[in-house]
Amino acid sequence: MSLDIDSHIRHSTRHIGRSVPRREDRGPLTGRGRYVADIKIVGMLEVVLVRSIEAHARIVSIDTSEALAVEGVQAVFTAADLADVKTFPDYIPYIGPVKQRPLAEDRVRYVGAPYAAVVAVDRYIAEDAAALVAAGTTYEPLPTVADLDQALAPGAPTLHDHWESNYSFDVATHKPEVDHAFEQADHTFSETYVSQRQTGLPMETRGVVADITDGTLTVWSSTQSPHMVRSTVALMLGMPEPQVRVVHPTIGGGFGTKTHIYPEDIVVPWIARRLDQPARWIEDRMENLVASVHAREQRHDVEVAYDDDGTIRGVRCASMLDMGSGEIFMPGTAPVFVTNACITGGYDFPNMQARTIGVVTNKTPAGAYRGFGIPEGAFVMERIIDRVARLTGTDRVELRRRMLVRPGQTPYVMHGGGRLDSGSHTESFERALEMAQPALERARARYAGDPDVRVGVGFSNYVEPTSPSYHLTTGHWGGGDAATVRVDPDGSVRVAAGLSAIGQGAETTAAQLAADALGVSPENVTVVLGDTERAPYGLGSWGSRGAMMLTGSVLLASERLMDKARAIAAHMLEAAEADIVLTDGAFHVAGSDQPSVSWAEVGTAAWIRYVDLPDGMEPGLETSGYFHPENLQHQLDDTGKINAAASWSNGAHIGVVSVRVSTGEVRIEDYVVVHDCGTVINPALVEGQVHGGVAQGIAGAMYEHFQYDPDTANPRFASFMDYLVPTCAEVPRMEVDHFESPAPEQPLGVKGCGEGGTVGPPAVVAGAVSDALSEWGVDLTECPVTPVAVRAAIRSAGAAGAGAAGAGS
Amino acid sequence: MKPAPFDYCRPSTVAEAVEALNSTESSRVLAGGQSLIPAMNFRLTDVSVLVDIGHVEGLDTVACDPGGVTVGAAATQTQVLDDDGVAGVVGGLRAALRHVGHLQIRNRGTVCGSLAHADPAAELPALAVASGAVIAVSGPDGERRVDAGDFFIGPFWTALEDGELITEVRFPAPPPGSVTIVDEISRRAGDFAVAGLVATVQADGGAVRSASLVGFGLGGVPTRLESAEAAIGGWAADHPAEPLAEAVMADTADAFDDIHATSWYRSEAVAALTVRAARSALAAGEAS
Repeated sequence: MSLDIDSHIRHSTRHIGRSVPRREDRGPLTGRGRYVADIKIVGMLEVVLVRSIEAHARIVSIDTSEALAVEGVQAVFTAADLADVKTFPDYIPYIGPVKQRPLAEDRVRYVGAPYAAVVAVDRYIAEDAAALVAAGTTYEPLPTVADLDQALAPGAPTLHDHWESNYSFDVATHKPEVDHAFEQADHTFSETYVSQRQTGLPMETRGVVADITDGTLTVWSSTQSPHMVRSTVALMLGMPEPQVRVVHPTIGGGFGTKTHIYPEDIVVPWIARRLDQPARWIEDRMENLVASVHAREQRHDVEVAYDDDGTIRGVRCASMLDMGSGEIFMPGTAPVFVTNACITGGYDFPNMQARTIGVVTNKTPAGAYRGFGIPEGAFVMERIIDRVARLTGTDRVELRRRMLVRPGQTPYVMHGGGRLDSGSHTESFERALEMAQPALERARARYAGDPDVRVGVGFSNYVEPTSPSYHLTTGHWGGGDAATVRVDPDGSVRVAAGLSAIGQGAETTAAQLAADALGVSPENVTVVLGDTERAPYGLGSWGSRGAMMLTGSVLLASERLMDKARAIAAHMLEAAEADIVLTDGAFHVAGSDQPSVSWAEVGTAAWIRYVDLPDGMEPGLETSGYFHPENLQHQLDDTGKINAAASWSNGAHIGVVSVRVSTGEVRIEDYVVVHDCGTVINPALVEGQVHGGVAQGIAGAMYEHFQYDPDTANPRFASFMDYLVPTCAEVPRMEVDHFESPAPEQPLGVKGCGEGGTVGPPAVVAGAVSDALSEWGVDLTECPVTPVAVRAAIRSAGAAGAGAAGAGS
Repeated sequence: MKPAPFDYCRPSTVAEAVEALNSTESSRVLAGGQSLIPAMNFRLTDVSVLVDIGHVEGLDTVACDPGGVTVGAAATQTQVLDDDGVAGVVGGLRAALRHVGHLQIRNRGTVCGSLAHADPAAELPALAVASGAVIAVSGPDGERRVDAGDFFIGPFWTALEDGELITEVRFPAPPPGSVTIVDEISRRAGDFAVAGLVATVQADGGAVRSASLVGFGLGGVPTRLESAEAAIGGWAADHPAEPLAEAVMADTADAFDDIHATSWYRSEAVAALTVRAARSALAAGEAS
């Protein structure tokens, strides 16, 4: 299908493709954002959750009497009080059901698990009382499992009574052609690659305010998925969906952590209903680090078959996800499937045999984080390529060139069924190489006189599935989205969509598109997102779906609206519909100098002055569109393959690093990104997504790491003193360029771009540091790449001259 | 993250502050509050009375004379950094403060508060030990002066008795012609050090004559690198670095382990910093 974007544009100054300034920033930047924590309702009570301090224990008793005696405490609830609340659904058939209750009943499985809720007149009193509930709790500690090995050891304690082991799932494919490759290849090697536990860490923590008036429950939630929250709250509290409204105020980021529906999303509305008083809970940062999902903790046991000339013949990869306790809705299982689906990145490499495993441990439940499994797999693939290049004396760049999906090779079906519908896999890498060359020369020149410093370069060529089906992740929801477009009597345009604004620029994007499609200025477009009462059902903002879904559904609705508006205008101008053209907010008869009809006149006719409507036309000027990409598969096909993404973006990252040998300190000197997300609606927004994504990728590559005590499964972190988030001082300058390979099955060719930035850095940094330290044979297999890890790698090489004295001696 | 209930008082003289501190068992001095307030919010510290010394007369001074710099208990780190006279007298003070936190932290945080807090990874206690600073303390029994070398007892543990507060610290000027270098490895800009070093080096004709070397972030208190101080005499840039590095590693063999770094890493890192500092000091000597 060839794209004809211009046929959709009805404004002389096209807005699509321009860096139209973001309309959503004024509030947050001037202190006028209205976050959940800014919602104030008269009589509102404060809720504090009491959380387990044990990683694994039976709760023997909870004495709430002292807490209840504190002046200002209204109630203390435990699981027994919530007996009328349904259990979180276990929709996915192939994973172990966790039967999660909103508050832990008799057993806690991670430090941070909520088991009681204190309700008081203010947060200070609530925390005082929560401390008393904690002190009044008697635990019977149970043996813990702190990591994959412990969880899978013979005789390991199991977390969930009705399970035989700690395996949540174990899904393997078998490909005879991979066995054949191993038989034929010149050499093989085995390696284990590890990605560490992290989280998405939005600046605004989670929060819920709930209030019931006139039988309607209103929930203000800092979520990425307001409609899914509505469905789940209604289901679990036994209320009709129309009586639950989820309002989506200003959101300070989500990064995947807010796609889940958490115990607090249920408990706080339940409290408001039970006490018939508004209630709020705002997550503090200490809780956030244990009570919002973690992610990325994966281990990959890999076998690689390769030939003397560097050809990689086959790879077997067993990817294991540490799911924490698994007690989260929707389950955090999907990222590791995405890891395996995307592991071959932009490379033409079908001979991959994947096994996908999920294991529960006594840690915070794992879930979604921007990148959703892709960075972990990209790390593995790029490390494999570098290893084979080194083992065979093949140039790392040449080997990648040989392997990349070539121009004209799309659509290309990946090993697991992912269909790369289009892309610029080779072109992006070549462009990135051009851009990186001066950076590499600069770095080499800068450190030429410093014998303690080595310079290296690292690569990542990845794909980013965008706008995925949510069926495999949730076992329930699908993967389309709706928008409604209305033109009011004054000619103003209102766009409402189920997608949520989480800082990514969705409002600006929707306005740009509606402006072009309806031939008006973006200032004339009002955008309403997320509120379940004001916008049609939508699945929310995750999976880099905003751009595709929003533009797809708004365009569909706009085209339908245009058909009706054109008919009205034709009638008013006494002309044939086919002769009517719209430019810059007015309908004309093509080639005629007749007076025009404005949107206000058409809107007025449609809603008020029915006498101006054609005979028999139904009044009104509001249409809906539901965008559902044709090629999006929700379930595996007969061969076990699936193309679960509506389209595939791609990118190439190259980083140049310097490494101080004596201390192991790594500095990213320059970072180059070439990115292809199809038709770019707003270049500034895309660059912003890339910059932020790369920053989070660097966090994973070098800094952030949730560490647990192996003996007790206790967190070894409590604050940002322990969980190191990079600041602007740690994030390098980036150079970004774009290709635009339009998505063939999206009317404007748009693909998503929200996550790609996170994918490259772990592979790039590990590759660059290994390159810099190649004289010691360093070949990093784990993230984060810390000074200690670098020094340990040099020490294990045992080379002379690598001593701490370093510094040129 | 809300603190448990506490009382607050704001004395205007040192005597009133001492009286308030002694009015109850778990009183604490509030200066910049950059460590104390988070600890209270985390409910890690039990405080019944917070004695805010921010309005005590005469405590917010920074005084320089040729013999040294005296910093009052309420003087902020930014105040010291911005003082035109400090760098010329005690260069190490400025060098150390540049590593302390971020601008916002230094705007509130105080030099004396950092000494009283005694974080083992902090720069200022190490500088105080390295430079032979003297800490003035007031308490119910009057005033006393404590050498920095005797002040730090363990992690977050000093010679301050209950009911005492620091009123000022005196950093003496280093020997003429010496160079003070404060260098550290930290995971991010502004973090506490994974390993750090304060080195005051006297050089002579291209070789080190003597040096005061104090590491931080290695043990419970600032660590004087005694073997390294012995080994560094006579060292020149063209000498092998290994003996010096090995001396440092011998001094720091029991450096601690935590989630940010291992013991051996800390030891190696401060050895590398020592070699680097010696080289920088010699290069500075040649340049001058």
